[in-house]
Amino acid sequence: MRRKFLFLPLLLMFAGCVTHHFSPPPGLFPANAFITQRATFTARGKQFPLDGFLAMSETGGKRFVITAMMGVVVADILVKPDGKIYIMRSSQMFPEKYIRNGVARDLECIFGGADDKNCPVQMLDRKHFIVHRFGYTLDVRILDVKPGPQPAKLFDETKAAKQ
Amino acid sequence: MKKLAGIFIFAFCAAAFAATNELQTVADPQPLLEKLRSRMEPVKTVAMDFTQDRELNLFAEPLKSEGVMLMERPDKIRWETMSPYQTILLGDENSVAQFEFTGGKWQKLKLGFSQMLARVMQQMSAMNQGNLSAMTNDYSVSVSTNNGFVFIMVPKDEKIRQMISSLEIHLAPDLTATREVVMNEPNGDLTRITFSHEKHNVQFPARTFDQNKPLEISSVESALKNAP
Repeated sequence: MRRKFLFLPLLLMFAGCVTHHFSPPPGLFPANAFITQRATFTARGKQFPLDGFLAMSETGGKRFVITAMMGVVVADILVKPDGKIYIMRSSQMFPEKYIRNGVARDLECIFGGADDKNCPVQMLDRKHFIVHRFGYTLDVRILDVKPGPQPAKLFDETKAAKQ
Repeated sequence: MKKLAGIFIFAFCAAAFAATNELQTVADPQPLLEKLRSRMEPVKTVAMDFTQDRELNLFAEPLKSEGVMLMERPDKIRWETMSPYQTILLGDENSVAQFEFTGGKWQKLKLGFSQMLARVMQQMSAMNQGNLSAMTNDYSVSVSTNNGFVFIMVPKDEKIRQMISSLEIHLAPDLTATREVVMNEPNGDLTRITFSHEKHNVQFPARTFDQNKPLEISSVESALKNAP
């Protein structure tokens, strides 16, 4: 009985922190901005520090580049406003399938635009998010937000490698 | 994964050292490699600041980070980024550890690629000791000169070369100070690491390279403040 009572508040606390249909509060991120992030990707008990660079355009979509140690690009993705995904660069660390089903989905969950309800995101504060998915966890910290229009070339899907 | 490992190694070897446009190729680099090794022989420890500019064709401005690099013979290395985020990478011949400052405290990561990073650290140590010849199995090394020396390393592995075309290590004329490292990619992207405030043979305080509880960098810097 005692264990049940201990478990209940923990369950309630956890349920209150992580929502499976998270969407960013209105105005949290400007519609047009360049946003840098630091993230820790945890999978299979191992952790990988990553840097993220996101150009957001109200009309163009989202261009997102992930780099690993020493700036090596491990993923580059363009998500158009209509939700179409273009993989500009993949890597052995993030193959195309992972980018399409993982990176793109998490990107939309945190920064807006996700149309499904599968966004298990915990917002610790306005600059700190944790994505809890089966198989991996992503801890994202926002380092800098520079509001302003982004160059149109970033959102040119004709330069995309694969759709 | 192997390809990625190669790139990491390549990138990190750049950091083991720190231009002009008018470069003249040195016909026989071997005497210079030997000179470099002998010049680095008496250097037991190195401390320097770095600024890293990641220049991606996509983005107008380089993505900057800053920090310090510390080395102690035979194999201890600390690469600490202090801005725009804080992270510490520590390594020696046998192991590596990484810490991230998040949520107001340092967190030790259960690091992926740890074996690969350990190998990287071994190669960094070899380069810090001026042993560039240790790299010739994996890279073609040539030397150019201007108002200093530029060691240019090209990966022999074609798969790695598809992602990293060359690495330039810019050294002072007396070969004892690293000025800059440039990692070039085939598409024109590059990473430029500029070093400054290089100090040799300083006495690092205890726990500077501790892989479980590294000394705060402010304490390390305070101890090194009066070093030449």
